[in-house]
Amino acid sequence: MRGYVLKAVGGFALVVALAVLIGNVSPYPEVKSLPFHALSTVTRIFVTLVISVLWGVSFGILAATNRTASIIITPIVDLLQSIPILGYFPLVIGFLFSWGAFGIELSIILLLFTSMAWAVFFGVIGAVKAIPTNVIDASNSFRIRGWRYTRHVVIPAITPAIIAGANLAWSDGWFFMIAAEYIQYKSSVVVPPSGGVGMLLAKAAYEWKDMNMAVILLVFITTLVIVVNSLTWHKLMERANMGTFKPIIHIGLSGVGKLGSQGQSWLDFRNIQAPKAFSAIWQRIEKYSRQERITAGVAALVIILYIVSGEFHRLPTMQMIQEAFSAPPGERAATMPLLVVLTMGRLTTAYLISLVIAIGLGVLAAENKLAASIIYPIYDVGQGVPILALFPVIYLGITPLVGSERIALEITCIMMLVLDMIWYMFINITSAVKNIPTDIKEVANLFGFKGIKRITHIIVPSILPAIVTGSILSWGTGWNTIIFSEYLPSTEPGVPAISVPGIGSFLDEAGYVYGNTILLVFILVVISVIVLGMEILIWRRLLRKFEKFKVEV
Amino acid sequence: MLALEVRNIGKVFVEDHKETVALDDVNFTIAEDEFVCLVGPSGCGKSTMLRIIAGLETATSGEVLFEDKPIKGPTPKVAMVFQLFGLLPWKTALENVEVPLEVLGVPKAKRAETAMEYLKMVHLDGFEDTYPHDLSGGMKQRVGIARALALKPEILLMDEPFSSLDELTAKTLRDLVLSIWRKRDEPPNSVVMVSHNVEEAVYVADRVIVMSPRPGRIIGEVKIDVPRPRYEHRRDERYFQLVDEVMEILQNGNHKQ
Repeated sequence: MRGYVLKAVGGFALVVALAVLIGNVSPYPEVKSLPFHALSTVTRIFVTLVISVLWGVSFGILAATNRTASIIITPIVDLLQSIPILGYFPLVIGFLFSWGAFGIELSIILLLFTSMAWAVFFGVIGAVKAIPTNVIDASNSFRIRGWRYTRHVVIPAITPAIIAGANLAWSDGWFFMIAAEYIQYKSSVVVPPSGGVGMLLAKAAYEWKDMNMAVILLVFITTLVIVVNSLTWHKLMERANMGTFKPIIHIGLSGVGKLGSQGQSWLDFRNIQAPKAFSAIWQRIEKYSRQERITAGVAALVIILYIVSGEFHRLPTMQMIQEAFSAPPGERAATMPLLVVLTMGRLTTAYLISLVIAIGLGVLAAENKLAASIIYPIYDVGQGVPILALFPVIYLGITPLVGSERIALEITCIMMLVLDMIWYMFINITSAVKNIPTDIKEVANLFGFKGIKRITHIIVPSILPAIVTGSILSWGTGWNTIIFSEYLPSTEPGVPAISVPGIGSFLDEAGYVYGNTILLVFILVVISVIVLGMEILIWRRLLRKFEKFKVEV
Repeated sequence: MLALEVRNIGKVFVEDHKETVALDDVNFTIAEDEFVCLVGPSGCGKSTMLRIIAGLETATSGEVLFEDKPIKGPTPKVAMVFQLFGLLPWKTALENVEVPLEVLGVPKAKRAETAMEYLKMVHLDGFEDTYPHDLSGGMKQRVGIARALALKPEILLMDEPFSSLDELTAKTLRDLVLSIWRKRDEPPNSVVMVSHNVEEAVYVADRVIVMSPRPGRIIGEVKIDVPRPRYEHRRDERYFQLVDEVMEILQNGNHKQ
C-alpha cells in the first residue's frame, strides 16, 4: 500500500512537473496552461468512461439476460458499432453546437462515447453468457434468483469484463481524443471551451506547424496515459484476476516465461483480460437468427429516417435528394466507385502490412522467450500511445522528406492505418499464442516438429481463429481511422484542406465541410454496405471454417 | 411411504425446428429412506430426468409428485449435487455453502455456524476460507455436497457426482455420502443418483433403474440385496451377480419382462 502511494505521488509529480516545464519553455501562450488542458482532457475522458460503463453494464446485462431485450438491443448496437463512428458524428453535432459552450462539450463527450461505449457492452454480454451452465443450474437449484443472483453471480462474473472493457474504452477515448477536441465543421474549427491536450496537439501540428512542439506534446500525452494506466488499470486488473471461472475457462494462460508468475504487475500478462472482451465481439460476429436480422434491418431504417427527418423536419423529397447530389461535394458523387477502390487499396495495403508484422511478432514471441520478453512489454506500453495523435506528427515529419503534401498525406494515411490495425492483430495473435495449450506444444515436441514444420503445423493453425478475429476488428477500426486520416483540415482562411482522394475524405467534405446531410447519409450507407458485405462474404465464412480448429477447452 | 413419484414423464427438446425425444413415458417411485440409482448410456436422458425432479427443467408431459404435490420449481427440500460442482469461483468454500442458506433467510451468524458444521461433516474444516480455484476436484465436490446437505433436504439428487473425480477420491466420497445417508435421524432420507458406472450404482443403491438410449425409457429395474455397509461386501459373489444383471439389461434389454 505504501509503495502504491509513493508510486501515485511520484507519477502525479512527474506529470505535473513535465506539464509545468513544457508550459514554461513554450512560446505559445495556450501551452502555458498545459496542466489545466491535461486536467480538462482527463476529466472529459473520465466522465465519458463513467457514462460508458453505466450504459454498457446496464444494457449489457439486460441484453444478455432478457431474450426480448436482446433481440432489440444487440442488433442495433451492432449496427451502430459497425458504422464508422467519426462518420455519423456530423449528423448530431450541428444540432448540439447551437447550444453554445455546453453543447460543444456535450458533443465532444458524445463523440467519445460513441467510440468508448462498445467494449464494455460486448464484454458484459460475453461474460454473462460465459457463466457456465453448472453454475446457473446450481444457483437455480438453490433458488438464488433476482437481485441475489445479480449480486452473487452476475456482478462477480462480469467484473473482469467490466474492467477489461473500461480499460479498452479508456484507450479508445485517448485514441479519439484528438479528433474530438478539434472538429472542423462547415469551414470553421470547433474546439472545447475548457481546453484539452488533444486540441493543443492538433493546433501545434495544423496551425503552428511546429514539429518540435507536436512531438513534445505527444511525449507528454503518452507519459500521462502510461502513468495513469500503471496507477489504475494494472492494479484493477490484478484485483479482478481473482474469481473468474478459472477451472472451466482457464486454458493454461501460462504467462510469459517466468515473468508472469512472479507477481510483477507491470509484466504480468495473465492479468490482461482483453481477449475476453474480444471473445464477446467474437460472439456477436456469430450469425444472428432471422428474427434478429429483421429487427436490425428495421432498426437501421428507423434510425436513418429519424435522423434525416430530424434534420429536415420531414422526409427528404426527390427534389431534395437531387439538390443534395448537385450541391458540393455531391457533383462528384459519380466518382464514388473510384474513391471506394482507392480507399480499399489503402486499407488492404495497411492490412497486409499489419498482418505480416503481427504474425511475425506473434510467432517470434511464441518460439523465443527472449523475443517474448521484448515484445510483450510493447503490448503493454502500446496501449498507452494515443495513435490518432500521431497523425499530425507523422505528417509534419514526413512532408519535408518527400516534398509533396499529398504524397506525405498518402504515406501518413497508410502508416496511421497500419499503426491502428496492427494493434488489434497483435492483441489477438499474442493472446492466442499464449493460449496454445501445453499439451499441444508437448505433442509437437514428442513427434519432433521443429523449425518451419512446427510453425506451419502447430503455431499458425492454432492462431488462425485469432487471426480472423483480429482481421475483423482491424478492418472495423481501419474504416474508422480512414475517415480521419484521408483528410487534413485547414484552419487558415482561403487555404484549402489537404486530402487524398478516397471515400473517407469525400465523407469528411460532405459532413464536416459542406454539411450536406443527405449525401453524408448516402455515403454512410455505401460504407456500411461494404463493411457488412465483407463481413458476410469473407469474415463469417472464414470464422465458420476455422471454428472447428479452435482448441477445445 | 413414497418420497417421490415420477408419473408418465415425457420430454421433447426442440432445436432448429427439429424435435428430439429425450424421455418417453418414464414412471418410477422412490420410497422414503431409499437410495436409487439411474443408470444408462450417455445421452439416454437420465440427467434430464434428474433435472426435472430438481425443478430445473419442465417436463413436456407427465408430472413428478413430491409430498403428493407436483414439483413446479426448485425447492430447498430437494437439493442437488452437480457433476461439475457448480461452485461460485469468487466465494470461499464457506461462503459457497452459505449462499443458499441466505436465500432461506437464515440469519448471518447462524449461516456461518451451519455452513461450518457441514464443512466439518465432509472433512473440509481448515479449508473454509479457500477459494475453489485452490481446491482439488475431490475437495470441490465435498463443498458441493456440504452445500446441498446444509439445506437439510428430504431428497438429495446427485448428477454423476463422482465421474469427474479420480477413482480413489470417488471411492472415499461414495462412502462418505453413504455414511451420511445411513444416519437415520439426519436428512437426507432419500437419494437419487445418476451414474453411467454400473459397479458404482450397485455399490451405493438399494435399487438400480436402467434406462435405454434415446428416447430414454425405463427398461429394467434391479433390486440390490447386498447387505450394508457395502464396503464389507464388495467382494461378495452376489455383488458381482447384480453387476452382471444390470450390465445384461443395458446391453441386451430386459428379457424377463
